[in-house]
Amino acid sequence: MKKLIQAVILILVFYLILKVGIPALGSFLHHGTWPVVPTALMRIYMFFVVAGVLLYLTFNEESAKELGKPIKEIYGSPEKGGLRMIVIAIIALFGGYVTYQNVKPSFEAPIELRSIHPAPPSSVEMWGKTYNLMTLTNPFRADKANYEKNAKEGGIVFFKNCFYCHGDKLDGKGHYYSGVSPLPANFVDVGTIAQLQESFLFWRIGTGGPGLPKEGAPWRSAMPIWQHFLSEEEIWKVILFLYDYTGHSPRTF
Amino acid sequence: MKVFVRIVIFSIVLSLCYWGFSNYGIPQVIPEPPPVEEQISGSMTMDQYIALGGKIFNGKGTCTLCHNPVGGRAPLLDTGGKDGPPVGARAADRIKDPGYKGKAKTAEEYIHESEVDPSAFVVAGYGKPGTNDTVSPMPATNKGSIGLSEAEIGAVISYLQKSAGVQVTVKLPTGAAPVAAAPADAEPQSAKTPEEAINKHGCPTCHKIPGIEEGGDIGPDQKGLASRAGKRVKGLSAREYIMQSIVSPDAYTVKGFEPGTMPADLGETMTVKELEMIIKYLMEKTG
Amino acid sequence: MNSLRKSWVNRFSFLFLILFVFTLIIPMGYSASISLKEAFATEAPASAGGEHAKGEEGKKVEGEKSQYKPASKLKVEDYPIVKGFNSRIAVWIVAQLHLFFGAFVLAVPIFVLVIEGVGLATKDERYDHMAHEFIKVSMTAFSITASLGGLLAFMFVSFYPDFFKYMAGIFGKTMIIYAILFFGESFCLYVYYYGWDRLNKGFSKWVHLSVGLMLNVFGMTLMVLSNTWASFMMAPSGIDDSGIFLGNIWAAIRGPLWNPINLHRFIANIAFGGSVVGAYAAFKFLSAKTDEEKAHYDWMGYTANFIAIFGFLPLPFAGYWLMKEVYSYSQQMGITAMGGAFAWLFIIQAVLIGSLFLGANYYLWCGMGRIKGSERYTPAIKYLVIVIVGCFLVWFTPHTLIMTSKEVTQVGGTHHPVLGSLGVMSAKNTAVNMLIVSTFLSFMLYRRSNKIATASWTSTGNALQVALFTAAAINIVTLGVYGYFIPANIRIGLSIPQVMTTLTVIIVSSIIDAFMYKGAKSTGPIEWGKMAQRSQYALFLLAISFTWLMGLMGYVRSALRQHWHVYTVLRDNSVDAFTPTLGYAATIITISVYIFIALVIFAFWIANFSTKKQKVVEASH
Repeated sequence: MKKLIQAVILILVFYLILKVGIPALGSFLHHGTWPVVPTALMRIYMFFVVAGVLLYLTFNEESAKELGKPIKEIYGSPEKGGLRMIVIAIIALFGGYVTYQNVKPSFEAPIELRSIHPAPPSSVEMWGKTYNLMTLTNPFRADKANYEKNAKEGGIVFFKNCFYCHGDKLDGKGHYYSGVSPLPANFVDVGTIAQLQESFLFWRIGTGGPGLPKEGAPWRSAMPIWQHFLSEEEIWKVILFLYDYTGHSPRTF
Repeated sequence: MKVFVRIVIFSIVLSLCYWGFSNYGIPQVIPEPPPVEEQISGSMTMDQYIALGGKIFNGKGTCTLCHNPVGGRAPLLDTGGKDGPPVGARAADRIKDPGYKGKAKTAEEYIHESEVDPSAFVVAGYGKPGTNDTVSPMPATNKGSIGLSEAEIGAVISYLQKSAGVQVTVKLPTGAAPVAAAPADAEPQSAKTPEEAINKHGCPTCHKIPGIEEGGDIGPDQKGLASRAGKRVKGLSAREYIMQSIVSPDAYTVKGFEPGTMPADLGETMTVKELEMIIKYLMEKTG
Repeated sequence: MNSLRKSWVNRFSFLFLILFVFTLIIPMGYSASISLKEAFATEAPASAGGEHAKGEEGKKVEGEKSQYKPASKLKVEDYPIVKGFNSRIAVWIVAQLHLFFGAFVLAVPIFVLVIEGVGLATKDERYDHMAHEFIKVSMTAFSITASLGGLLAFMFVSFYPDFFKYMAGIFGKTMIIYAILFFGESFCLYVYYYGWDRLNKGFSKWVHLSVGLMLNVFGMTLMVLSNTWASFMMAPSGIDDSGIFLGNIWAAIRGPLWNPINLHRFIANIAFGGSVVGAYAAFKFLSAKTDEEKAHYDWMGYTANFIAIFGFLPLPFAGYWLMKEVYSYSQQMGITAMGGAFAWLFIIQAVLIGSLFLGANYYLWCGMGRIKGSERYTPAIKYLVIVIVGCFLVWFTPHTLIMTSKEVTQVGGTHHPVLGSLGVMSAKNTAVNMLIVSTFLSFMLYRRSNKIATASWTSTGNALQVALFTAAAINIVTLGVYGYFIPANIRIGLSIPQVMTTLTVIIVSSIIDAFMYKGAKSTGPIEWGKMAQRSQYALFLLAISFTWLMGLMGYVRSALRQHWHVYTVLRDNSVDAFTPTLGYAATIITISVYIFIALVIFAFWIANFSTKKQKVVEASH
């Protein structure tokens, strides 16, 4: 019995490490999220954790016998009929539960292998003009004299158009935040605009969700095609504002 | 026997585990089907031809495997970079390079040569290691696994010129290309005579054209076009100028007329044959 | 009764011999008829004049060029179709089976020869018996290999005639050498096996060993020659751009991928052969009636497992070399392999290799049970389990995670802050090196189990080894972590110091152990046969996983050609030119593995007859 309990405890400990430990660590690295281990991966992880625990407990003859003893007793000795029935019932119910979970109708969107920051094209066409994204820079970045003014104007553009989703703190938690999937980008986070060049933002804002390439799952994002509503200058100014407000600096390499 | 049965069951179950993981544990990505050879038909417009070039450049031609900004394995072509402006624009300077030993005389010939004989001129720093930039690591695009046809190479050149913003000098492939193989219903029907073509595209609505009855005066009178066409834009022959004026009318607007009036989609709606016929007609009749 | 059975077996194997000779000759005759006429026409004067000068050769090449046709552009109609029969699947399965058996029968003589040699050197008869039994097991497999090879050639002729014609046009001459080699190998094998008891004493034992060596020479040449065809299909050489053969057969043979494939297959064959023989020993162990038998097969299983692991550990490095050559041959082919649809194939590979590591280690740990004195080391095993399972989990964490939209919301994007960093090369290289080091540590502990070192510097030596392993682990992990902070092009270079660290640990600590345990005190002999039954299933796991893995990696090697019969030269325009999904491939691989298992069981069953015969003879003495 001791070994069986040991096995169960070991499996539980590793399960908790994967189930809670990894998200906790992730949450520490990435505030405000709870990055769980995806179910598909979790299953395989647990399969090999269970395999590892069983291998550990059975490589030695006595330990293997002890681990097997309670199982043998339950299935082998006639006087434990009641217990046997209970165990079999639990296993059957568990099987039923797993089956039910897998076949019950759900409104879950099908899994997509969506890449959140897909590679940008080399050039993009907006307002009938072709922009080369490899060499494109923010024209207002160089204009040091009017920096304050331009950033402020960008802020006005932001609060007129963007903040409903991206939030007044630019943290991706605007009014409609919970209504869209994928979630609006959180600009404060180090993983978004801080990792990107300004031309990438220009492309993403200008062409919106529908302009994503195939690996970015076009139309999955609710972001509008802003070139239809904003001018080139307004987009550059709002980009200036995003970096100015969050204190990040754009990637330049 | 009992042992034997057990082992067989163990083996079958284990293989099934691997099979199950391969089928249900990972996403089933359906690989791209084998590429189909692009059909180039005689009745193709310049824009379609350029678009085809872009498709070949990014797809079947496998050019972007190396000619991309990430790896730095080869100079950038359709965009500018540290090697200067896009290749369509810099090609003209390449042939003036003292190290250039090839046969090309024009920018178009240079790009063509670079595609079929990559070692003819190797951009400094991109040669095969140890060859001191005399041998190019690039495969010839008209052979081997890429195996582009002459018409496809032309399409790529037209795309590269277009993306550099320079004049597209490539000629459209003529009827000799495998027209017959192309499905008839998908292709627009070409007009039979130049007059028919001119009327089909509604040219006389705005222009007076010699030999055609009636004509508007929204656009310039075409009388005498052939003699003045060659002088309009520096560097463009009469033929080229007429083609440009039809395919991209706003590239040059004659004094006294409004830009943006003439439809810009003629390049898409007109077939090559029609374009050829109209240009020929204008060159002959408006002299 | 026994004599009856014996003659039946003999007749049976004779029948087999005739069968495979015929299946081999028919297609060979076909191919020869295509190329021979032309080949002899130009070859005759050349060979009559003896060795021709180099200048002449150039002329000859020019002259010959005209007679070789370019690779034809095939159409769908060029592929004969038998209704209700998928040619690609049929060829796929038969080719895979041929490779399974080929690998097995090529590998067994290699280690049989080594074991026989060890037996001669140590004068321990047990080695000789074991070697004899190993080769006996592979006898029927040899016939099956040949039959499958014939069947495969027949299928090429019937289903892919133009492809076969093209290949035969280039390699027709080597097929004749192939036939000669094949008969040479058959001859050596029969002499080697049937002469085992007769050529047993003194000088004749040396004759026997020489025959064994010749057998291996023939076998290796055979493998290297047939690898040519596969490597030519992947990376053709000796032809011009339109596929016209330039007339120099050596140039066609010596393609850029030939040697990497030769090495990779050679090592993999040993690992594969060892694991299959291990499964045989496990089966015999499980069905053994007497303690004597048990001891024998336990020892045999242990040796087979040792051979398998011995071949398995350097395999990743041979694989890296092959992959590197693929990249330098064609970047496009390399990117197709590592990215795109095949990226997930390497996750399946990771799961299989992880299972192999777990199985091999488990077998060693169980094996400690039969050694007195091993209790001193068993507490260390729990740390090994944690390290091995942990590294394994890191190793197969994919770069692109599969998440439901709810999980995407929780994670806050598709990039996972923790698991995302495990999906990259730095983490994988670290994990696999740690796996190899831990497996080696398991093996070292096993070796030490019944020994107490008596050397005066034992404590220093132990401290040195602990320091070595700790330093190696720190070095490997530090290099891995460091990889995250530097650009990708420098990061790739880090795998070399990591591998060097692993190799250094293995070599240096083996040397230390060898000296430290010279004349060591024994805590008792290894009690062969005192082995738990479940450990034998680890041996089956090794055999099945190896077979499956071989099928998988064979598939990817072949699939890299995509829609080409001969890459860039002869395009596959049949209806089956598409690249299937991995699930589809897994189904075919599984079917092949099942057929392989069935045939192997059949081969072992045949081998059993002669054992029974021997027993009866021994009993009557």
